[in-house]
Amino acid sequence: MDFVSKRHLFFLLSLAVLLPGVVFLIYAPGLKPGIDFTGGSTISLEFADPIEQSDLRFGLADLGQADATVQRLSGASFFIRTRELDEVSKQALVDGLKSTLSPNGVQVLSFDLISPVVARETVYYAVWMVLAAAVLIFFFIWWAFRNLPSPFRYGAAAIIALIHDTGIVIGIFAILGVVMDMEVNNMFLFALLTIIGYSVNDTIVVFDRIRENVLMYPNRTLATNVNVSISESLGRSMNTSLTLLITVMALFLFGGSTIRPFLLVLIIGIVAGTYSSIAIASQIVVAWEYRDIPRLYRRLRPARSLGAE
Amino acid sequence: MRRHVRALIMIAVMLAAALLVLGVQQISLGDFERGGTDTILGLSLGLDLQGGSHLVYQAALTDPVTGEPIPVSSDQMQALKKIIERRVNSSGLGEPIIQLLGEDRILIQLPGVGDPGRAKEFIGETARLEFKHRMFNVPRDLTEITGAEIVSVTAGFLPHETEDESPEPAVAPEGSGEAVLEGAEAAEGTETAAAPELSEAEGESTAVAAAPQMQPDGPPLLIVEFTDDGAGKFAEVLDRLNESLGMLTSSGGLIPPSHLDVSIDGAESLRFQVNALSMQRIAESTRFAISLPPDNVFSTAPNAAAAQTLLGDSPEIFFVEIQGKVDEDIGLTGDDLSNAYAGQHSASGAPIVNLEFNSEGTRTFGELTEVIVAKTQRTGERDQIAIFLDDEELIAPVVETVITAGSAFIQGRDFTVQRVSDLALLLESGRLPVPIELIQERTVDAILGADSLSKSAVAGIIGVALVLLFMILYYRASGIVASLALLIYGMLLLAIFKILPVTLTLSGVAAAILSIGMAVDANILIFERMKEELRAGRTLLSAVNIGFNRAWPAIRDSNVSTLITCAILYYFSSRLGTTAVQGFAFTLAVGVLLSMFSAITLSRTFLRVLAATKLGRRLGLFVPIGGADLPQLKQSPRAPALERS
Repeated sequence: MDFVSKRHLFFLLSLAVLLPGVVFLIYAPGLKPGIDFTGGSTISLEFADPIEQSDLRFGLADLGQADATVQRLSGASFFIRTRELDEVSKQALVDGLKSTLSPNGVQVLSFDLISPVVARETVYYAVWMVLAAAVLIFFFIWWAFRNLPSPFRYGAAAIIALIHDTGIVIGIFAILGVVMDMEVNNMFLFALLTIIGYSVNDTIVVFDRIRENVLMYPNRTLATNVNVSISESLGRSMNTSLTLLITVMALFLFGGSTIRPFLLVLIIGIVAGTYSSIAIASQIVVAWEYRDIPRLYRRLRPARSLGAE
Repeated sequence: MRRHVRALIMIAVMLAAALLVLGVQQISLGDFERGGTDTILGLSLGLDLQGGSHLVYQAALTDPVTGEPIPVSSDQMQALKKIIERRVNSSGLGEPIIQLLGEDRILIQLPGVGDPGRAKEFIGETARLEFKHRMFNVPRDLTEITGAEIVSVTAGFLPHETEDESPEPAVAPEGSGEAVLEGAEAAEGTETAAAPELSEAEGESTAVAAAPQMQPDGPPLLIVEFTDDGAGKFAEVLDRLNESLGMLTSSGGLIPPSHLDVSIDGAESLRFQVNALSMQRIAESTRFAISLPPDNVFSTAPNAAAAQTLLGDSPEIFFVEIQGKVDEDIGLTGDDLSNAYAGQHSASGAPIVNLEFNSEGTRTFGELTEVIVAKTQRTGERDQIAIFLDDEELIAPVVETVITAGSAFIQGRDFTVQRVSDLALLLESGRLPVPIELIQERTVDAILGADSLSKSAVAGIIGVALVLLFMILYYRASGIVASLALLIYGMLLLAIFKILPVTLTLSGVAAAILSIGMAVDANILIFERMKEELRAGRTLLSAVNIGFNRAWPAIRDSNVSTLITCAILYYFSSRLGTTAVQGFAFTLAVGVLLSMFSAITLSRTFLRVLAATKLGRRLGLFVPIGGADLPQLKQSPRAPALERS
């Protein structure tokens, strides 16, 4: 199969997937930051009496928490996000809901409080974590592929693939944030970091093949070597993502609801990561070699000068 | 083959060790203690899986004048940690983990606390240090319960068999010392000596309640009847006396219990002292029974009537409450202290705690020591300076000399370097209390935690089973080898988690599953390479060897990149104090390292062993479905395997 010649198609496909996400990220409210990034409190309650989501909303409004958001977890369990609650106001909220809605009892399943200070730091460190990981991995790949001509390109290509994968995940979550009110939290953050790890991991396996073939057949063109490498490692790429997806899907379907968003990121990320190793990272190395971007630029420039005349 | 046998034995030993580690719930070899009795396989579980509270506090120190936030020193943070440890431990809230995060934060993990509200209440309290003048045996007139409040005083007898043994515990304070301020420390022996005396006496007082009325030939007692008002007041006195008995035990016998000085002025006069154990309210009445000490004038009376004669018609009775100890507030607090630090006695080298007061404190403290020393010279009583932190006594040294220079030191016979530095830290934290603010909380109910755990476990088992099934169906014999290797990998991973130990959190479980994925990936990489080598016409053994060598750089480099990510996650999350991320990174790193190890040892050894058996010639078993068109098979399926040169 010829992958290399279809590289522009791959690039367009990725752009098509990335674009809606970017639009949602910029023009819609986009990613809905959870309390980990804004500060506030969340509380999961299980009511002994059957109640409806609307009852709970009214109940919360009566208690002065009109801006609280409510999500049903299951049956009579609800997840409530509020402003930062101290111990006294938390107790007041629970007692208030108990007396108005569920005289037979309310069980606090979990309670979280994040102060705005911590939230700001989380954002700060998150950015640094991602940047630091990207930079270090870039240098590592540069070094690991030092025997090849232009090893720098492999590092850069791996990082672009990584940005591509995280971009797809973030984009999809921006859409989910608008469509399903899905929030991103710390779990999302380190799911993203896992994906960064996986994306690079997968890219390196394909690059390793390229490294082997380039060193073994230095007379072949890079396009041929890359194409052969992709074909040869295709079985492995597919099977690895398949097995990983099996485990993650099992967790997603049978595991607790708490880590479901985390697993959703992994599922999207694994698919994107596998795709990008073949269709983005390797193709960028080829495109770089064949100066695709200058060519594209040259092709566009006369067109523009024509338009100006 | 010998090499393979050796490798197989090594694997068997590792597996046996892993199973042993997991099989024994609680491992304890000297100082090395791992596992617990109440968790799956004795693994340590995070708060999100076992329930509990994760609290992060930030020191919020402000300048008292400007109100501007000022940085805290590491000593202050250490002191804060000590204070919180003290508070949490004294409240019996299980076994918390308290650690400092960064420069000004403190993390408290309370496993399985049902009511985090109560815990938070006293953790968040600001420290309060107070110096008080402690006096012993201070009389207090009880003029409000004499005369008009007393209806009658009559004589009574106890049943003979419960002989009175002078229940009054005569334990005097044991303060002695040669230094400026000496720590009157609880000697451990005294406490055990005091306790039995108390329980013996208690049995006696029940007897008083059971049969307080006239029975001839027993030790005599007084029955005092009060008015309603007087009875209430006397009951209050009795409560106070009872309370002080508890103090006797808690202070290790150093604080004498309060007692009552009773004087009877009738036909015969008697003055004696009783403590709470010798007095009892009779049922719900306004009458109180007071045991008389043995060998008094009344004990010569053969019966109650005779005793009554000795008492006379209208005996007068007076009470004086002798308070065991009184802690007088003298207005000396942490604000008056300018420094507290551990040091050594210049002459003896013994560990001491130095105190320095500011000008205001120097004056108050000087006056206090003057009063105390003067009293000692006058009466021989050795008053103490009791130092309280959060209403709990830290230490109560006696005073040796008048100290007007504003600096003093405390020494004690049992002081160790550790103890004085702890003491100095606590004093220092009371001197400059650091208010703390709750900035992060995560509380998970134990039921929710258990639910998450069981769901994750079930999901993990299903996931792994499906993967193994896929591997066996697709890679056939190699898949079976991989499955075996993965199962052993799983056992080793859990054993390592238990030994290190790695605290398993929900995110850690996710990381463990991800690392299983990585381990599968290593196997897949190897098998795909093997498949190519087999297609190129090699024997199984050489295909295994070459396949491994070819796959190794990819396994190594890809896992190194994952380890880089883990290191970064770990580094940043440790600064941020998000233990969830930290646990995830650590678990993943352990899993990845072990997966590299298992790929090169387990799978390779098993395949090599298989290659040496007859099964190894049936190459079709070792290639994936649809890959059976091997050149070797076409030529001669039973061709003797060529050993690699």
